[in-house]
This record gives sequence, structure tokens and C-alpha cells, in this order.
Amino acid sequence: MGNEEKVREIIHRVIDQINLQLAADQRLEKGETIPLFGEEGRLDSLGLVNLIVGVEGGIAEDFGTTVNLADEQLMARQDSPFRTVGSLVEYVTSLL
Amino acid sequence: MNRQMGAADRHRCLLVADFNLGNFAGLLGNDPEEPKVEVIGTPYGQVVPVLAPEGGGWREAPDCCLVWTRPEGVCESFGRLLAEEQVELEAVLGEVDEFAELLLDVAGRVKGLFAAAWWTPFLHRGYGMLDLRPGEGVGDVLLRMNLRLADRLGEADNAYLLDTRKWVETAGPAAFQPKLWYMGKIPFGQQVFAEAVRDLKAGLNGLDGRGRKLIVVDLDDTLWGGIVGEVGWEQLKLGGHDHVGEAFADFQRALKGLNRRGILLAIASKNEERVALEGIAQHPEMVLSLDDFAGWRIDWEDKAQNIADMVAELNLGLQSVVFIDDNPAERSRVREALPEVFVPEWPADPALYPSALLGLRCFDAPRVSVEDRQRSRMYAAERQRWETKRRVPSLQEWLDSLELKVEVEELGAANLPRAAQLLNRTNQMNLSTRRLSEGELRQWAEGSGRQVWVFHVSDRFGDSGLTGLASLERRGKEAQVVDFVLSCRVMGRQIEETMIHHLGQRAGKAGGERLLVELVPTAKNAPCRDFFFRVFQEEGGESRFVWELERDLPLPSHVELRKR
Repeated sequence: MGNEEKVREIIHRVIDQINLQLAADQRLEKGETIPLFGEEGRLDSLGLVNLIVGVEGGIAEDFGTTVNLADEQLMARQDSPFRTVGSLVEYVTSLL
Repeated sequence: MNRQMGAADRHRCLLVADFNLGNFAGLLGNDPEEPKVEVIGTPYGQVVPVLAPEGGGWREAPDCCLVWTRPEGVCESFGRLLAEEQVELEAVLGEVDEFAELLLDVAGRVKGLFAAAWWTPFLHRGYGMLDLRPGEGVGDVLLRMNLRLADRLGEADNAYLLDTRKWVETAGPAAFQPKLWYMGKIPFGQQVFAEAVRDLKAGLNGLDGRGRKLIVVDLDDTLWGGIVGEVGWEQLKLGGHDHVGEAFADFQRALKGLNRRGILLAIASKNEERVALEGIAQHPEMVLSLDDFAGWRIDWEDKAQNIADMVAELNLGLQSVVFIDDNPAERSRVREALPEVFVPEWPADPALYPSALLGLRCFDAPRVSVEDRQRSRMYAAERQRWETKRRVPSLQEWLDSLELKVEVEELGAANLPRAAQLLNRTNQMNLSTRRLSEGELRQWAEGSGRQVWVFHVSDRFGDSGLTGLASLERRGKEAQVVDFVLSCRVMGRQIEETMIHHLGQRAGKAGGERLLVELVPTAKNAPCRDFFFRVFQEEGGESRFVWELERDLPLPSHVELRKR
């Protein structure tokens, strides 16, 4: 399995965990292009914290390396990697 | 406020914390296990104003409340201690007392108050080897704070301190994620919250009287290692200098411990009864003896049917039962045939049996009474009674042979805990199935025209303890029976007739002319309806019964009734 696939798997795992905490109509979907965070996304600020910490933890566990996703500028960017699952997979993979 | 919620309803739980409890709230609200919980969230960091009666969350009528705080969040002096300032222990404990007063006040407004014990995720090693030294270590102070809080919460019958340490231990390294704290003011990882949800729900089940009361165990490779019918009891793996044998002995010790706490034990095993019983009686390392079991079915019949029969004989409901068997096929069969029975997944390795049993969250109860601790002995006596019944030809002759004594007394401080427990746990012979805490029951009994009595039952086989409760509310010439509760342990010996005789006498002496009985039907109290239908038959209805007191409600001839 390539890095991109591994990262996608980690993100999907974290989404499953976050969904345990969300009401049925707020649950996150795993589609690559479905909005995640931002104006059209379902992820609120608490969810974003959980996503960041979950993905960072998953990367540390599976890759034995650390990435830092908790960056205010990163979140605020027009092309923020947290827009969709696909953009997040791409961004995290680029850090490895 | 809705404080008299029935067991089947959804709980409404007010969550109060000095940190972001959003993740926990989500898990609690989504958790599919019973009881369902509707979460009433509150803004974090506003513990005192939120807990005040005028705090916003109270408008939503919670029936329970969880308060989860960090020690430095509610005790300013502990915060200074963490910063390595010199702080007097008494100052810290004084703040704990103030916080406890606040919680005790909240306990008066809900059916159950739960507080999470204090834990310090970022304390690291504290003072190292001095951390638990009195007068020096922060860890020592934290332990004393928790002890003081536990002592103070013990002043209320419905306030419970939950053990955060266990949640943290189970979660392991994932318990604390500093980034969650710094970014979201969330001090714990998801696993800690998941464990907390399970413990809170176990507590709520306990408050609802839904704790399990009977463990049915298999024998071969469950209570001991090996198949007794094949190898003989002499070759069973049990105790001795063998790690597998020791694990089975420890599993039996764990069962014995639960039994001492009031959880009944029974056996369902596919075996030759004579061979299996010989093994129990003869094996020198058996921790459990036959007297520890309220009943057994050892034959080659379907286990599910055997369990159902045995549970009916013990006058329990299937929802009271846990079934433990090493065989996945038997577990599956019982799960399918008896969905109300709780059948935990069971580890393949006997070394894990004791922890699997002790980790079950289905035995929580608001308190453990003297009757609970004696329950096993009572059931052993019950078995002897029924053996006598088999030898005695008629029911009346059997009843006459029991030498039944019923002692009645008014509700008071000494019997209140057991009375409330009986009221909250009894389902079958229960007229109204109303659930009240000790304080609520006492308060109700103090109302005008109301009286509550409790009944102690004994016979020549032993003392069944406080097993009956009845209450009257008088309105002019009418006396309404509000509660009529009898433990299933003593049903069928005409204690019911004795209790209604007493109520009739008391209502008549107080000038009453008729006794009114209004049954609140539930899925489980058909025995209560049947009793009133039988006794009040001429005046009977489906759920409303009337008895004109000019007619006698006779005391059964085989019962000696006296005041305690």
C-alpha cells in the first residue's frame, strides 16, 4: 500500500471515531470531494480539533513520524487542506 | 422537575464541567446501550453558576447530573500547589468541602448525581518519590481531596463519585493528548470518555433497579478446566500448582465475591447431574460449594429452556440474568432464544476469566444492603422449602409447616435504605412501580394522611428480611393503597394476603370505609394484578379495585403477624 492509501485509511479511521460523537444528521462522509470543513462542510471547530489530533496521532503511529496540522494559517487558507477528504489526503501525503 | 421517571424512560442528564465536554456529550447521546440518555449540555468553565438552581440547564428538567471537573478548576489552592507554592492541606480540603456542599445541593434536585473523581493529566511525576508523602507531595493531596469528596458525597443517598483512574488506566497512553487540551480544552482522549459513558450508564441502570441479580454458569471449561464426565473430578484443572488451574480457582473466587455482594449463582450444564455434583462436592480445590448456588439444571436438555425454567422457579425475570459459558454455540443459542438474558462474549483463555467477570458493568446498585449480602443463604433456604413442598401433599399443609412470621413496622430511619431499595428493584408484585430515592420516599411518607409500612418475613428455614412494603393515603372515608410491593423471594406464601389484611385493619381503625387500589400496569406486574383480581374478585376491574371495609380481609391462618 502506498503512502497516499495509508493516509486515506488513517483519515477514514479518524472520521469513524469522530462520527461516534456526532448526531446522525451531522456525521461526516468519506467521499473525496464532499466538503469537510469550511462554509459547506459539516465539521465544526471541535470536530476540526478532533480531526487534526486524530490524524496526527495516526501518522505518528503508522509512519513513526510527526506532522503538524495545527496551523492557523493552514486552516484559514482559501485552499485549506481541510476542505475535503481528498485535499487532506493530498496535503498530509505531501508532508511525508 | 421530573424526578420520578420510570425505568423504561430515557434519562435526561445535565453535564457540567470546567472543560470542554463536547466529545463526551456526543458519545453519551449516541451510545446505543440502555438506558438511552438525552444530554443537556452547559457552557464549560461555569460550574458554580450552572449548578445553581437558577442555572439554565435546570429548565430542561434533568433527572440526573454528571459533574466533571479538574481539581485545579474548582480548588484554587490546589492550583497554587501545582505551581509549587506552599499551601496548607486544610485550605485545600476547605475548598473541597465548599464544592461538596454545592454538589449535595444538586443531589437534592435529581434522581442521581454523579461526579468524576479528580485526576491530573499533566502532573507527570509530581514530586517524584515524595509525591505521595504526607505534607509534601501533590499526589498525596489529590488522594486526600478525592477521599474527602467521597466522604462528603456519601452524605446523600443518591450521590456517587465515579473512579476516573480506571478510565484513564483502560485508555492507556491515549488517555491524554496534550494537543486536545491546548487546542480544544479537552483533557482526555476519546477512550477515557467512552469508558466514562459505560460507567455512567451502569450507574443509571443501577439507579433504575436494572442491575443483574443472577449469574448462570456452565461447568466444564468454565467453572473448572476439563470435562468432568470424561476425565473424572480428580483430573479437573482447578487450583493447584498450575496456571490454568489457578485461573479457574480465581474465577470461582470472583464469583464467590459477587455472591457475597448479593448476586445469585446458578448452574446450567450439559452433564450427568450425579457426576457433576460429585465433582463440586469432592474436588478439594473447589472454592464454590453447592450451598452457594440458588439452583442448577444439569442434564442434556436445551440450556436456554433450562435457564428459563430455573429463572421462573427463582421468581426472577430473564432481564436479571447473566449467562457465562465458554462454548460460543451455547452462548449464541441462549442469546437467540432469550434475548433479555445478558450473554457476554467470553475469552478463550481461562487466564482472562476473572478479569472478564470482574469487568462486567451489569451489577451496579445504588447500595448493598444486609439483605443483599444474605440473599444467597435465603435462596438456599428457599430450595429447602421447595423440597419440603414436594414431600408435603397439599399447599395448605405446606404453608402450615413453614411456621411463617411476619413483622410489620412503620417506615423509619433504620429501614429506609432497604425500603427504598425494595421499592426501586421490585417489578412483579409492585402496584405502582414508582421509583423513589430514599429522600423522596421519606418526604412522601411525611405528607398528610400518608403511612408507609415495611414487612419482615421469616420462617423455620430462615429469615428473608425486609421483603414487603405497603403505603396508604387516607382521604376522608377512603384509603388509597399507593404502594404494594413484595419481593419475589417470598411470593406465593400468602404474605400478600397478610399485607392487605394489615392495610385493611389500619384503614378501618383510622375511620376509613373503603380501600381503593389502582394498579399501574407494566410489562412485568401481572402477578400484582392477578393477586388483587383474585382477592377483590367481586369488586374487580382491570386495574382499579375497591374493597368495602365492613367486610373482613382475613389474616391467613398459617401466618403469625406482629408489630416489630
